Amino acid sequence: MIVHTFRKEIKELWRDGRVRIAFIIVLFLTAIAVFISTNHYKNVNEQYVEASANEREVWDNQGEKNPHSAAHYGTYAFKPKYPLSLIDQGVDKYTGTSIFLEAHNRNEAQFIAASDQTGLARFGDLTPDFILLFIIPLLLILIAYNSITKEKENGTLTLLNSQGAVGWKIVFGKWMAIFFPVCILLSALFLITGLLLSNLPDFGVFSWASLFTLLVTYLIYYAIFINLILIISASVSKSGIALVLSLSVWILVCLVLPKAASNLAEYKYPYPTRQEFSENIAQDKKQGLDGHNPWSKAAKELEEQTLKKYGVDSLSQLPFNYDGYRMQKGEEHEAEIYFKHYNYLKTQYSNQNGIYQKLAAISPYLPVRFLSMAIAKTDYNTHWDFSDAAENYRIETQKFLNDHFAEASTYGEWGFKADADFWKQLPKFNYEPPSLSKIIQTNTSSIIIMLVWLVGSFTLLFFTTKSL
Amino acid sequence: MIRINNLTKTYGDFTALDSLCLTVKEGEIYCLLGANGAGKTTTINLLLGFIKPTLGSAYINDINVVEKPKLTKNHLAYIPENLMLYPSLSAIENLDYFSGIANKKFKKSELEAFLVEAGLQTSAFHKSVAKYSKGMRQKVGIAIALAKDAKVLLLDEPTSGLDPKASNEFGQLLQKLRQKGVATLMATHDLFRAKEVATTIGIMKDGQLKQQWSVDTLSLKELEDSYLETMSYNSLQS
Repeated sequence: MIVHTFRKEIKELWRDGRVRIAFIIVLFLTAIAVFISTNHYKNVNEQYVEASANEREVWDNQGEKNPHSAAHYGTYAFKPKYPLSLIDQGVDKYTGTSIFLEAHNRNEAQFIAASDQTGLARFGDLTPDFILLFIIPLLLILIAYNSITKEKENGTLTLLNSQGAVGWKIVFGKWMAIFFPVCILLSALFLITGLLLSNLPDFGVFSWASLFTLLVTYLIYYAIFINLILIISASVSKSGIALVLSLSVWILVCLVLPKAASNLAEYKYPYPTRQEFSENIAQDKKQGLDGHNPWSKAAKELEEQTLKKYGVDSLSQLPFNYDGYRMQKGEEHEAEIYFKHYNYLKTQYSNQNGIYQKLAAISPYLPVRFLSMAIAKTDYNTHWDFSDAAENYRIETQKFLNDHFAEASTYGEWGFKADADFWKQLPKFNYEPPSLSKIIQTNTSSIIIMLVWLVGSFTLLFFTTKSL
Repeated sequence: MIRINNLTKTYGDFTALDSLCLTVKEGEIYCLLGANGAGKTTTINLLLGFIKPTLGSAYINDINVVEKPKLTKNHLAYIPENLMLYPSLSAIENLDYFSGIANKKFKKSELEAFLVEAGLQTSAFHKSVAKYSKGMRQKVGIAIALAKDAKVLLLDEPTSGLDPKASNEFGQLLQKLRQKGVATLMATHDLFRAKEVATTIGIMKDGQLKQQWSVDTLSLKELEDSYLETMSYNSLQS
């Protein structure tokens, strides 16, 4: 009965112009979106490769210089682009592309793509994730809204019942007939994207496993949507009402609830303003050791401790340059301050995420959105991960420079200059993003919520259509 | 065989069917006549298991309709007043699908044979049924019944709206099925067709079976007079 209905529905859908038009729309929009995204990411990636190489060259060739001057001169950590960001660009546009690494300060990522765009960008971009998350569910509604109501309106349901049809089997056959073309279309699109991405030069490490996980995530999303549409179609008697209700669900699930979740999260767990954040850090810095200020209370305490530890009477008797040593201790203190304040931001982010997770119980869009961004490595978690890696590299760089200053010069020798070849000894910044297994582990709650939606909507569909 | 014992259906204070008793044996065609709202369609819907009776019982081939509705559907076929098929599919495809729903699997040649037996022109087999007349759709309905090998046929106003030729052809098809031993219960307004095809005729009014004859004992004129008398009696009463 299921297979029979599936075959019949496929024939009907194929002969009905709606499906062909929907397919053409998806293919056309996706082709444009992939073309635009590919060009965009090619450009961005070329810039990334070029900027990374140039910056390193500038660092390596800065000539003879005092290590602490080099620390202030600084360098950049560039955020790599990942292949799947072509499918889901997530928050990349808003998080910046590079972080300036310098002594004493942890800087925010800068060169935010969105800030370079015109006001027209407010209308949104035509990206693959927009099509996957918004347009395809909308087309599913247009294809499936009258799946069951038309049987009631045309009177074929009566004949089916007289033939001994089992409601849920008929509906499952219909479900398969709607899902199957979407599955084929999406698999083909992802396969083409995979082939395209795996052949792009300098486009990072491409993972078929990640692409497949992303495909499965979206297929589950569409399965949930089909279930919701069929539940509505089975529950009402008129196709017009089914269409209006299905569109209302789409608006609620894809537009209203995500915005409401965002507002609620920001309201309950607000981030400090940039001014507050900077002031709080500056306040904490004032109360601790400043590597540049040897006369502060904290600097005097460090001096006494160091002299006592090494059993000497004066700083010049120490086996290293105390100025370099103090600089490093100052850096360590400042790093702790940054760690504390950024940790607060992360806690707020984590709390906001908790709100999203709770609201995901009433919108399957939310867990899918988070999973999609996470798998594409364009979510906030990956950005935090990159930001932390850049900060660790900054701390290591400062230690590398201060240690050299302390070990290769004597106390008071502010005119000391490191050799021109010294800079090349600094290891390159090599950021490794979270692996797929780590991403899945981090997003377990989203996966569970998505699966609960899938099982729950299937169960509801079964009971709604058990006897049609 | 159809067996109905004291079948009653009420909706609040309204009695749609009142203690109906009748039997349709193998190879019999029982025509239920009556005005709109007499209870003819309610009887058919009860036999189909679409609604549950308030009192009484009904059996299709000795299987209780209320207790085993799914099982009874294996033995019956139903053709409503307006048989609706899937418009984008052909007659063959519709027949294949509805047979499949009844767990019957046929080759294409077998499906074509059923359509031929139902009297559908060969040239129409592969055309979309959206272009079919009502008569042609009814023939597909008969083909569905043939394919199902149904022992009981329930018809609700099947000739309503058919032209005389199509109606006559439909009558002949019913006779064919009768010869195969199918028990048919047909609700109709068409006295002439009822007299033509039925073995037994009953007249219903206000959910009750008022009169019942064997067709052999009754001329068309007598049937018409009895029917009009019952109807006018009804009108005077109301």
